[in-house]
Parts: sequence; C-alpha cells; structure tokens
Amino acid sequence: MLFASSVAEDFLRGILQGLPPGAVYGLIAVGFVLAYKTSGVFNLAFGAQAYISAALFFHARNEWQWNVVVAFTFAVFLVAPAIGLILERLIFRHLPPGSALAKLVIAIGLSVALPHLFELLIGFEPVGGRTPEGLLPNGGGVFYDPFGVYPLSRNELTALVVAVIATALLTALFRFSAIGLQMRAAVESPRMTELNGIRADRVAAFSWALSSTFAGLAGVLMAPRFNTLAAPDYFNLIIVAITAAAFGRLMSLPRALVGGFGLGILIAQVDTFLPRFSANNSWVKAIEDNVTPAMPFIALFLLVAFWPPLRANKDQVDPLSGVDPPPQLPVAVVRTRFMTNLTHSVGVGFLSVVGFVVMTRADKSWVFLVTQAAIISLILLSITVLTGLGGMISLSQGSFAAIGAFTVFQLADRTGMSTVLAAVIGALVAAAVSGLLAIPLVRLGGMWVPIATLAFASFFDAVVVKLPFVGGGDKALIEGTRIPRPVIGPWNLTNDKTFLVFVVLILIVVSAGVIAIRSGTLGRSLAALRGSEVASQSIGVSPVRPRVIAFVISGFIAGLGGALLGMQQENVNYAGNFTPYATLFWLVLVVTLGSRTVEGAIQGGVGFSLFDRIIFRGDLFGWILRDPDRVPGFFPVSAKWRFVLFGLSTIGFAKHPEGLVESGKRKSHERMERRRARREARKSLEGASS
Amino acid sequence: MSGILLDVRNIGKNFDAIAALSEVSVQVEAGERIGIIGPNGAGKTTFFNCVLGVLTPDTGTVYLASEDISQFPVHERARRGIGRTFQRIELFSGSTVRDHLLIAERIRRGTGNLWRDLTGRGKPRIEEIEACDHVLDLLGLGELANRPIEQLSLGQGRLVEVGRALMTQPKVLLLDEPSSGLDHQETADLAETLLEVQASSNFSIILVEHDVELVASFTDRCYVLDFGRLIASGATQEVLTNPVVREAYLGENIS
Ligand SMILES: Nc1ncnc2c1ncn2[C@@H]1O[C@H](COP(=O)(O)OP(=O)(O)OP(=O)(O)O)[C@@H](O)[C@H]1O
Ligand SMILES: [Mg+2]
Repeated sequence: MLFASSVAEDFLRGILQGLPPGAVYGLIAVGFVLAYKTSGVFNLAFGAQAYISAALFFHARNEWQWNVVVAFTFAVFLVAPAIGLILERLIFRHLPPGSALAKLVIAIGLSVALPHLFELLIGFEPVGGRTPEGLLPNGGGVFYDPFGVYPLSRNELTALVVAVIATALLTALFRFSAIGLQMRAAVESPRMTELNGIRADRVAAFSWALSSTFAGLAGVLMAPRFNTLAAPDYFNLIIVAITAAAFGRLMSLPRALVGGFGLGILIAQVDTFLPRFSANNSWVKAIEDNVTPAMPFIALFLLVAFWPPLRANKDQVDPLSGVDPPPQLPVAVVRTRFMTNLTHSVGVGFLSVVGFVVMTRADKSWVFLVTQAAIISLILLSITVLTGLGGMISLSQGSFAAIGAFTVFQLADRTGMSTVLAAVIGALVAAAVSGLLAIPLVRLGGMWVPIATLAFASFFDAVVVKLPFVGGGDKALIEGTRIPRPVIGPWNLTNDKTFLVFVVLILIVVSAGVIAIRSGTLGRSLAALRGSEVASQSIGVSPVRPRVIAFVISGFIAGLGGALLGMQQENVNYAGNFTPYATLFWLVLVVTLGSRTVEGAIQGGVGFSLFDRIIFRGDLFGWILRDPDRVPGFFPVSAKWRFVLFGLSTIGFAKHPEGLVESGKRKSHERMERRRARREARKSLEGASS
Repeated sequence: MSGILLDVRNIGKNFDAIAALSEVSVQVEAGERIGIIGPNGAGKTTFFNCVLGVLTPDTGTVYLASEDISQFPVHERARRGIGRTFQRIELFSGSTVRDHLLIAERIRRGTGNLWRDLTGRGKPRIEEIEACDHVLDLLGLGELANRPIEQLSLGQGRLVEVGRALMTQPKVLLLDEPSSGLDHQETADLAETLLEVQASSNFSIILVEHDVELVASFTDRCYVLDFGRLIASGATQEVLTNPVVREAYLGENIS
C-alpha cells in the first residue's frame, strides 16, 4: 500500500474525483470571464448555450446518426461560435457601455428563449431517465485506475484531456496570435486597449465566438454527468461558472480556471469528508445527501455577501439608469386627470365584461386559466415592488412563493389549520426570509443582488426543498404535497368560481397596496435611491432600510401568491411552479411588459396563463372567423413560442426599460398631445385670420 | 468652543499613492459663510465627502454641534444637519422637480412609515407641497415644479440640488461648485437667494468654488487647499491677496 493513512488516501481520491468536473467548471468559468471582460455582459445565458451544444450533439448522434467527429465538430466548433457571434452582432454590440444590468436582463431573457427556440427549430425534446453518451464509446463503462484509489471513467478522462488541450490552445492563442494578444489586453484592461486603438468590436466578436465555443465544449463534456438532458440542469451550470470566476474576482482567466478546478475538488472533498450521522434524524440525512452538489451555491452566496474585493466590481444601482434614453415619467403621471379617469373607466369596464363572461359562460378549463392568470399577476406584483419601485432584480421570487405554498402544505397537513390562515402565515414566513436575505445584499448594488439571490434560489432548490419539514420528504414523494381548499363561513372555495372571486379580491387589495406604496414614503425613498444613492443619503434616506422593506413586502406578496397557486392546484407542485429556472420567466414577463405599473404585472399574468390558449391554439382566430375549421393550418402553435417571444422581447428592455405596455401608452399619449397641439394651432390661426 | 458648529479636525485621506487630504482642520461657526478654494484635484470634493461620510477618512474627527459624528453613516449625518450639493450633479432620474424636494421634506418631518403608506396616507400632504413650492419659488423654479428632471438644463439641475438640500433645513450646507453651469446673472441670483434664506433660518455655509468673485463677495472667511494641504486661511479678502495663494492657485490670473 502506497498510503499509510486512509485519510491521505481519501484525500487523494477526492482530488482525483474532483479533477474531471473541475476541468469542465474551469472551461465554463474561462468562457464566462472572456465574454464578461471583453463586452461587459454578465452572460447568464451561458448555460443555455452549453445546453444547445450538448443537445445538438445528442440529437445528431441519436436521431441523425452522425459520426461522432462530425457531430462534435458541428455542435461545438460551428454552431456554438455562430450563436456567440450572432448574439454579439445583433444584440450586445448595440448596448451602451455601463448598462450592465440591462445586459443582465437581456441575458436572462435569452436563457429563457434560446433553449426553447432551439428545441422548436430542430424538434428536440428534453431527455429524461437516460444518461447522454460521451465523446468516446462506452465512456461510462470503462475505467482506469492509475493510483489504485479512484477509478476514472473514460468520460472523466476525456473531459480532463480535452480541458487541458483547450487551455493549452487558449494560452497559445493569447501568446502568439495578434487577435489573442489584443484579447488579452482587452481582458486585462478594456480602457487601455481603446487608448491603443485596437478595434474593440473585432475583439469583442472574436471573444464571444471563443467564449461560446467554451460553453459548447463544456456542455458536451458535461452531459454524461447528468441522467437527463434538459435546459434547467444547464442553467445551474452558470452558477458554478460564476463561483469559479468569482475566485478570480471575475477578472483573471487563469484564476477562473484554477477556481473551476478548486470548486470541483472542493465538492469532492466535502463529499468524502462530510461527517455522516446515523440517519435516525431524517432532516440531517436530507442535508447530508444534498449539500454536496449545493456547494457552489453556498460558496457563491458567501463570496458575494461577505467578500469585499468581489464587490469592488460594483455597477450602477438602477437597472434602468444605464439605459439610453433615460427613463421617463410614467404616462399616468404626466397625462391629464380626465385621460387617467377615462382609461381607468375603460379598464374597469373591460375587466367587468371579462369577469361577467367568465362567471357565466366559461367552462372549467377557462375558469382555471383565468384564476391562474390572477394568481400569477399577484406573484408578479412582488417583482413590481422590488424591480419596478426598488430598482433591484431578484431571482429568488420562486423560492419565496414556494415558501408560502410549502408552509400552507405543512400546516394543513400537520395541524389541519384552515388554509387561509396558513396562507397568511406562509406569506409572513416568506417575508421574513426575504428580509433576512436582503440585509447583507441590498448595499451591494448592481448585478450582485440578482447573482446572490440566484445562488439562494439554487440552494433552496437543491437543499431546503428536500428537507422533510419543508418539502415533505419521502412521504411527499408518495402522497404528494396536497393543499386543501378552505371553506370560509358561507364561502366554499372548493367551488372554482368562488375561488376565482376570492383570488381577484386579494389581487385588488394587493394592487391597491402597491399603488399606495408607490406614491408614499417608501416608494419615494426607493425612487430616490434608484436615482442616486449618494444624493438620497445626503437628504437622510437610509440606503438599507427602504430596500429591505421592499424585499419584505415583495417576499410577502410572493409567498401569498405561492400559497394561492398551491391552493388552486390543490398541490404545491414545486417542480412545475417554483424552480429557479421556471421562475426566470416571471421576471422576463414583468420587465418586458412593464415593471413599474400594476397593469404590467396583470398583463404579465395574462401572458403567462392565457397567451397560449387564446393566441397559440388559434381559439381567438377561430372566434374571429366564427368557424373553427377555417383557422389556418399552422395553428395550434407550440406553447414554447411563449418563452421565445417574451424572452427575446427583453432585448427591447435596453431601449424601453419601462416595458412594452408603458412605451405603448407613451406613444399614444404623445400622438394625442401632438394632435391637440395641431388643433390648437389651427384654432389660433383661424382666430388670427378672422 | 460654544460658537463652533462644525469642527473638522486633522482629516487625512489617501487614495493608493495619492494623499488627497492631509491634516486638514476646518471650523465653522453658526451662521457663518466660509469658502474653500484650491486648484483642480486639491481635495475639496474629497473634504466634503469626508465630512458627510461618503468616504471614510484615514485619520481625523468630525464634530457637529460638539457631537462626534465620525462613526455615523451618511444619512445619519444628513439627519443631524449636514446638507450638500454635488459637483457632478446627482439627481433622481424618473422623478419630477417637486418630487426631489418632497422626499427630502418627508424625511425631515420623519412622518412616513409603512403603515401610513399602506393605508393610503403616504401621499404628499398639502403643507408639504406648499413648503416645497415655497423653496422652488425662491429659487425661481416654480414654473418647473411638475417637469421631469430630465428636461432641465444643467444649471437648473444645480438649483434643484440646492433646493433639495435646503428642504432638509441643514445646520451646515456644503455647496460644491454651485455656479458651474450657471451664467453670471443666475449665479448672482443664486447668491442672493442663499443670503435671503440664510438670513431667515440661520445656517452655516461652506462654499467650494472656482469663481473667485463669488467667493470674495459671498464668504467671510476662507481656506485654501493645495495638494491636500491647507496652505492658508483667514478673512477672505486677506487670503485672496496673499502672495502664496496667488502663486499656488491664482497664478494664471496674475497678468
Ligand atoms: N474615489 C477616488 N479614488 C481615487 N482617487 C480619488 C478619488 N476621489 C478623488 N481622488 C483623487 O483625489 C484628489 C483630490 O480630488 P478632489 O475631487 O477632491 O479634488 P477637487 O479639489 O474637488 O478638484 P476639482 O476642483 O477638480 O473638483 C485628486 O487627485 C483625485 O484624482
Ligand atoms: Mg471637486
């Protein structure tokens, strides 16, 4: 035996086990830093790009029966860089420097849109319950054991070798080629390269192509580690990449690579040395089983929240402040009172008609969808408070909503408490968690709030949900996480229409609250902080308190909404409703439609639930044509287009940060103002001539 | 030291290799107007940042009305009576002119809380609006009260900053180059307005300015900073005629 102690042996095993995934993490981190440093884009769509290459490789091998070399070359060296080039050329090149948060929002939109667009274009369906193959045949079945402590599979060795080759090539490129030298200069100091007259455009384009190739490469190498092939798995990769890159303060490529290896080894060591207690205590076991894969999330959260050097990369506070032209006043503020009353009456009238039709004519499925739209609108209002009023982006709204739903489930299950009371408690718990989370984060500013909240959401997803006193544990696997609908006095909410009325009432109350907050002290403090943190402080506004309160309120609304969603479905349905990846779409809806207004949130809810049914299935068309048979043949359109449509609409965020609804209202307001001005000019002319 | 309102002792601040401030001490009496002048990069803005707590100085202490406020965060210092304007203008994009003052007024009154907001009582009250409009009128901004801030010129933006700072009813008002962006007449108007307001509510002013004429007419005493050090202080007229000062700062003006 080579090793005297088993600890040393375990340690070596941990290293060997950690190296292959570490190599892949390193590749992702390097690719991520490359794009970030050359174009300022915090590319959250990196995971989506990795997914596309992995899925394309899989599809080419299994469906098209391509040769492995051809498939690999096509997926990694052709399509991946092409996607990078397209994104850079069509989108990111046109964004002004300094709009880091606008770029981040667009990247979030892309990580929703790209996987679905890809799936639609080549007819790919996510794969489950099957391990995708690696580059070499039987990669998971052949092992090599050089040191006699840990057998490396052929796939793992491939990953290691490919990563080493890629790093060597990248180093050579940086050392010996002209564009490589320029890229290195750009990575090390973008300002300097501008001074030296290097064509920043070309460097950025090339970096994006290269960065995306790394994404593709990592995607293909990563695939055999999962037993699924689906976009959400790959979305998580991005957190790993950011964590690895964070070790190098997002600045240095070599350190990002080292960070990747370090993270891989850290995970393996934790896995090896984590003390195992006897599994009497089921929640301890749940943590033991799940904490290892969650290490990157924990590490990232701690780094962001408590490691000052990272925060030196601070960007501006308001997601809307870097955009050009600057944000404008909501139309509701500048238009006349008469117009406001008119639009409100029209809106209320329209909603009353819809309400009447739904209550009298709609069948069960329509009532379900309308109720869902109302509940999602409620949840989206939590984003209106945080993003629209507070200028902060949170990616953990799904977790807060889930806390609300799980609390109701647990309380109802254990104590038989009325679910209405339980929903209020759930909302309070979500509010408390949200507020606690906010305390270390709100001063970080800029992009760090979304990153840290994403890390929290992933941690919640990976560990907290698995705890028996949250997600129900093994029992829930068999029985589900059921939530009964309550009966309040004469109201029996098991009746769908009664439940709809109940939900709408809550939506109205919360909307009124949000509007009141916007025009009150809190809303004004948040608006001031959004505009200029230092100037707000100079008049006595605390930079922490209003933002933490905004988080608390937002958490409350999300928790309440989550509880209602659970009640409606009579089940928490965590995987379908609340995962970090699924709930990205919430943010996308709100920012594209309008993050500052209640209307934006309600339209978002409608877009979420009813778009598919009304537009994509051709129902509206059929109704307009008065004949379902004359609906054109391309209906029904896949519901995935919803994600593509709204996801890509985030691109408009750079130009219209107020959202589509608000910018539409502004246009019509301006048109009317012009018309009135013309009319008045004509009148005064007539007056002058007579 | 009963008369001294703001007492800044031995402030030192380094940025990497640059000593932006070293051993700077400044005293301001209640109701006094003093000036701080010095060439570009002398450390004037850095001094304001240290007084308000935007930057943490490496050494030194700040007393306001005999209370050591060195450990307080910016907004606490502001609430205790330090108001300021910014050299690089800092406005609240997406708000109207009046909104800028309303939030300052609300914070000063300290009457806002979440419960009031939620019960619909958080909206600006009539007396708050009147107080803001009074100050806007003084500054000649009355017409612009409902304009979005984006539509204002740089000079008007500066006036809004002054108004916003005045709404906090400061004990000491720090003005960082208020005249840049204003023309000659506007500068004179602003000085007159400030004198008027000051006469009625008796606060102190520290003026950082490159416009020597304004400093000469507006301030009683003045300090001169050069490379982070105080090189002269005293009655404004004397300081401005001091040969050392003329060489360090006004050198190009001697013809
Ligand atoms: N945040 C900072 N980081 C690094 N250096 C700084 C910072 N702020 C100021 N400095 C440096 O400190 C010195 C003093 O700057 P300061 O802005 O206080 O000068 P100033 O007297 O206000 O000049 P001006 O008349 O141009 O406004 C300058 O050399 C400046 O470059
Ligand atoms: Mg200055």
